Amino acid sequence: MSACFTIAFKELRDHLRDTRSLLSAAMYALMGPVVILLVSQSPLVATGGDRLLLSMMSVFTLVSAFTGGMFVALDSTAGERERGSLVPLLLNPVSRMRLIVGKWIAVAVFALAGLALNLMAFTAIFEWRGVDPPTQLRLVFLLWIVAGLVPLTLFGAALDLLTGATSRTTKDGHTRLSLVMLVPMMVGMFLVFFPSWISRWWFAVPVVGQQALIGTGLRGETVPLWQAGTLALLTTATAFAALWAAARALTRDEIVVA
Amino acid sequence: MIEVRDLYMRFGAVRALSGVSLSAVDGTITGLVGQNGAGKTTTLNIVSGLHEPNQGAVVLDGFSTTPQDRRSRIGALLDQKGLYSRLTARENVEYFGALRGFEGGELNRRTQHALATVGLESVAHRRTEGFSQGERMKVALARAIVHSPRHLLLDEPTNGLDVPSARGFKAALRRMRDDGVCVVVSSHMIEDLGTLCDSIVIIAGGRVVAQGSASDLCRQTQSATLEESFMVFNGLQGE
Repeated sequence: MSACFTIAFKELRDHLRDTRSLLSAAMYALMGPVVILLVSQSPLVATGGDRLLLSMMSVFTLVSAFTGGMFVALDSTAGERERGSLVPLLLNPVSRMRLIVGKWIAVAVFALAGLALNLMAFTAIFEWRGVDPPTQLRLVFLLWIVAGLVPLTLFGAALDLLTGATSRTTKDGHTRLSLVMLVPMMVGMFLVFFPSWISRWWFAVPVVGQQALIGTGLRGETVPLWQAGTLALLTTATAFAALWAAARALTRDEIVVA
Repeated sequence: MIEVRDLYMRFGAVRALSGVSLSAVDGTITGLVGQNGAGKTTTLNIVSGLHEPNQGAVVLDGFSTTPQDRRSRIGALLDQKGLYSRLTARENVEYFGALRGFEGGELNRRTQHALATVGLESVAHRRTEGFSQGERMKVALARAIVHSPRHLLLDEPTNGLDVPSARGFKAALRRMRDDGVCVVVSSHMIEDLGTLCDSIVIIAGGRVVAQGSASDLCRQTQSATLEESFMVFNGLQGE
């Protein structure tokens, strides 16, 4: 396990010095709160629009789970290949899985920081605007964060790494990731406007499940704990599947020496 | 000692190696030379543990090895030599030392030793962005020898270096050779290899066509220079 932490520590130290990427990641995290701030000023929303704002927030927060670690993930995979440091790294006696897990720890730290920034900015805006959800809804939000968003952010970090590991260049990786980002955005928006499409199996599908969980809560319905727990487990399991696929990608000659 | 026995390697429809066998003795520098696509880089990639050959074996000091064994025991500076530009030279070397399991004082000592071996102590604290090609190459070499390997592989190590940097680099290799390290170097610059290497291996079409000292190879082909001898072994005499 020490090799994983060596790699994670290096990636953290390396990317904390990358001011431009840190700023970009922060901008992505704050994009949603800024949009909601502007929308909240609209006279149409001024009266009774709290639930709409909360629904919109859920979509932006869902997307932020994928963006916080995006730059680190691409730089530490496709970027490694681009600058010619991947082969020297692979020549160390460390398995590909440990290598990817080490990078994932670092990406997840940045991704969780992005998520935290996003949630803090939303909290500040709702406080300022006087949106005061009832206690029941506050508990649902807490469940959404712990069982939904945190595992989803870990999955997002793994998916970012998988995309980077299978991309030839960081530019190629950015193109692919911008398409990947559309999935949570489209799913989130769709479920905001068509909540009746949510059926019983929602908790088995990452992204859909997270949006469905908060949507159910916002409608005032009860979210069973076992469903939230199952969602957390399945999302985390999907993250590990993505990590395994990323590690496999690094064993392919056409990817390593391309 | 490195012994390569009957290596075969294929990438899709392309046959890269067709039975490469060679040996490199401890305390010598062995040069690997061949035309583009002859199989030098593939051979080094297999010996370093990056690839698993389709067939054949790599024997280190008399023992058959797996790619994992070779990655543990060999130091390699292959055609990709990228550094982490936001890390200092010392941090670049330290990272690879830590990945090889060293920590604390031992990691410090080894990092210091590797940087001293390549003559980089004075710039060790600087980030590698903005380093000259020669300095970058030296950091990459320090990174490859941080675990004090007894076997060292280098692919085109003097490419892009100016004369003083190339001389300094070759002096560092000779020091390691004199310390008993088995050094294998591949290069296109055949006359350069002639002055640096104790033994030269010529690869053509995925197999070894000759191995010996520069003077042996010239004698075998009745050539005045190593370059002429190389042309003869490649069936290109008169071109």
